[in-house]
Amino acid sequence: MTERGDHLCSHCSLPIGLRAMQRTVNGEDCAFCCYGCCIAFQVKHGKGEEWEAAWLLIRLGVGAFFSMNIMLISLLLYAGTFSGPDAWLIPWIHLLLWIFATPALIILGEPYLRDTWAHALQGRVTSSALVVLGVGAAYAYSIFATIERSEQVYFDTATMVLLLFTIGSYIEAAARAKTARDLEPLLAAESECATVVDEGIETRRPARDIGAGMLVRVRPGERVPVDGVVVEGSSHTDEAVITGESRQVAKGAGSAVIAGSINLDGPLLIESSGAGSATRWAQICRSVRDALSCRSPIQRIADRVVGVSVPVVLTLGALTVAYWAQSMPFDRALLIGLAVLVVACPCAVGLAAPLATSLGIGRLSRCGCLVRDPSALETLARTRLIAFDKTGTLTSGRSRIVGIESEGAGIDEVLARAAGLERHSEHGLARAITMAATARGLEAVATSDIRAMPGRGIRGIAEGQPVAAGNSALMSDLGWPLAPALGRRARSLEASGHSVIYVGWGGQVHAALALDDTPLPEARSTIEALHSLGLRVALLSGDLAPAAERVANVVGIDDMQAGLPPEAKRAALDQYRQHYEVVAMVGDGLNDGPVLAAADVGIAVGSATDLARETASLVLPKDGLWMLPWVIAVARAVRKTIVTNLMWAFGYNLVALTLAALGMLQPVLAAAIMASSSLLLVVNSLRLSRLPDPAPLGIPERPPSLEPDSVRRGLGVPVMAGSAIERG
Amino acid sequence: MTYYLVIFAAGFAGSFHCIGMCGGFACALGHDPRGRTATVERHLLYNLGRLTTYCFLGGLAGALGAVWCTSQGMAVPLLNGPLDTAQRVLAIAAGLLMIALALQFFGLLQGLHRATIGYGGSTLAASLRNLQKSQSRAAPVAFGVFNGFLPCPLVYAFAAQAASTAGALPGLLVMLSFGLGTFPAMLMMGGVGRVLAPAWRQRGVWLAGSFILLLGLITLGRGILPFAAHVGHAWAIGPSG
Repeated sequence: MTERGDHLCSHCSLPIGLRAMQRTVNGEDCAFCCYGCCIAFQVKHGKGEEWEAAWLLIRLGVGAFFSMNIMLISLLLYAGTFSGPDAWLIPWIHLLLWIFATPALIILGEPYLRDTWAHALQGRVTSSALVVLGVGAAYAYSIFATIERSEQVYFDTATMVLLLFTIGSYIEAAARAKTARDLEPLLAAESECATVVDEGIETRRPARDIGAGMLVRVRPGERVPVDGVVVEGSSHTDEAVITGESRQVAKGAGSAVIAGSINLDGPLLIESSGAGSATRWAQICRSVRDALSCRSPIQRIADRVVGVSVPVVLTLGALTVAYWAQSMPFDRALLIGLAVLVVACPCAVGLAAPLATSLGIGRLSRCGCLVRDPSALETLARTRLIAFDKTGTLTSGRSRIVGIESEGAGIDEVLARAAGLERHSEHGLARAITMAATARGLEAVATSDIRAMPGRGIRGIAEGQPVAAGNSALMSDLGWPLAPALGRRARSLEASGHSVIYVGWGGQVHAALALDDTPLPEARSTIEALHSLGLRVALLSGDLAPAAERVANVVGIDDMQAGLPPEAKRAALDQYRQHYEVVAMVGDGLNDGPVLAAADVGIAVGSATDLARETASLVLPKDGLWMLPWVIAVARAVRKTIVTNLMWAFGYNLVALTLAALGMLQPVLAAAIMASSSLLLVVNSLRLSRLPDPAPLGIPERPPSLEPDSVRRGLGVPVMAGSAIERG
Repeated sequence: MTYYLVIFAAGFAGSFHCIGMCGGFACALGHDPRGRTATVERHLLYNLGRLTTYCFLGGLAGALGAVWCTSQGMAVPLLNGPLDTAQRVLAIAAGLLMIALALQFFGLLQGLHRATIGYGGSTLAASLRNLQKSQSRAAPVAFGVFNGFLPCPLVYAFAAQAASTAGALPGLLVMLSFGLGTFPAMLMMGGVGRVLAPAWRQRGVWLAGSFILLLGLITLGRGILPFAAHVGHAWAIGPSG
């Protein structure tokens, strides 16, 4: 039914993989990654009289009742209580144990048997097979021993191993549900319901069914389900999921609200401005879901190990029994073999990576940072060099025109023609030109046949003649001459670090626009923080050297390459990779898609484009550059956790397996250690959710971004009315 | 035998403490719609489940005590003979733990109280809540089993006592006596549902605290005093005979 059921565990949101368990809870199809999650989910969410959870708990309780009685009597046997004159009781006690053990085994072992059987039918052997085989052997031998009136029976071992496995997986699943807590808001978008108001009647509908123009009521504490405008009411919202900054934003009638933000204190009536399934929040949710169901390289290796290990362990168990049976009674050898099977159950290895990765993805996405591929986190943690694009990444990307040099044309004509071209471009400089034209009340000249020339500029046809705007390379490509005086003035502007855009039409360059792009206030502290994390930082700019150099100096980057077209940036990345092995590239995700895709980790800051077409594997929220050091710290913490988890899981398995094979580990003890091993892994991973929130690095508080963007940008334009412009 | 009677009495007095928490569960388990016999059966099953858990904990604690003692060089724990170092250490540890828990009953050592109650209780309590609603006949047993594992200072105190006996059987018997001691009050809570006056409950809690304090001091004395032939000796005869 839901997509969720196909990939992620309903309880802990980890990828399900091959060992899925399907159940129906409260009339919904749910899938679980393990028996423990199945119990824990139903205990938490099961409703009504007839739900299965009570039944699962009863089984667990009654199974524990029998097992504990068996264990008690066995303890007394081991302690020698029935020795001497009471020895005649022993066979009867064995019989009693048998009577107790049979229901316990049926009650506790059934899920494992069913799982083993289901997989055996598909030709697979899973870790439940280890449990079933080991426990079954101990039970069968004990029956034999009871009938034969032997000294020893192992009913206690058989039941306690099962009990510990079941309880261990239940407790572990209950603890693991904390992973899902961080991810829940991000997975909720698709199943979220909204209260739609239609002619005064309120109905609950899935958010994905909402179209533009519908009225939606959002109560305090609820999440805004759609993008829209407040029609009625006033409140504060928290937009952290989208913007990364957890902070109250005042909303009143007329304010725009974004899907995914939480309505904090007052009821709001919102008019939807688009489809509920097309919001950025919905996109984020889809992206997170996809990321979670992907398997990172480490995970694939771990899965392969788990897949191979079951047959290997079975063989090892058989060999152990065969070896020990030569030198000691068969029952002792069998017990050692059982310990081997139990202790080598590879649950922990399979859990090590996805648990930490999910927690990391959840932690990041709660602050608006999207991980589109779980392997990106692992790669980012190993990154030793980060290359930055300049415009829109380190700088505001909202350049202003600070000067216009023209030859044979008026300023207004230059701007009107340039704006006609540039309004078709999303480039930061282009926007500055169209804004300047609008500010002067100019109408952009209608331009057709637009062609964007990556790394050069843009060209088209206006009023029947070719028109182009771009750098000097574009002009020389076109073969358009530049008047010497204009060229001289343009070069001096370039030398002072301004971006210069040449505008030409009718086969001649007519003007040079000088633009200035200010570095972001947080850029310097961010770069410093990256340096302190031990990373090399480089700047790869498509702009001319002086402009790039000026920005590099301001933000504190010493490794700088300028004037690079996109393919040269990729070449530069390749070159860095030879030295630094793993390189990340940070861009704005607009013009540098191919470069971001070429890096080991592409990081887009505030990408405005459709997330589905995003080439970056990590997307920071708009204005989220300052979060980059934190993101890297989280990625490193995740990697460290995965490594420690795997080291623990493998190390534990190896040590325990050796001890078990040498006969130094009781099977019951082995089961207890096994259960606690997975739990330890969960506890180790849960430390990730306690990582601190990203802290702004001592930059001045940003102005509240309540006002629409257009107003904010408009403020910058009047500068161009200064003397510089009038020189043309 | 006196020894186990004392523990039974301590359990009985302590069950006034149980009424506070577990009594609520017993009440919630409530009446069976199938009649009085079914209700009694229900509560007996519940208490049987609880008793099993206690006995299990006691047997396990005793066995662990025995393992500790044997691993320290003694083949068989001899409770009525002179005590060796390992048993002394065990007795001191258990005695101190019991005294600390007893002080808690008098309202002292609140930090310890939080530490003993807080950990792991929530998952268990969630399981319990869900089992209450079930009408299945097996549910009370499961309910009792889980209930027995609820963090409870009284249980810890007697588990410590059980461990100090250094034997599976005496450990089991300690917890059995204690568990049986709690039966009357718990059955009364469930079956009759009559609530005792708070003043009486408080007195019961203090009485239980005094018993535990006494047992703790005796256990501690067994570990510290030079000869085992004091008060501790008289008590210690019980478990083996």
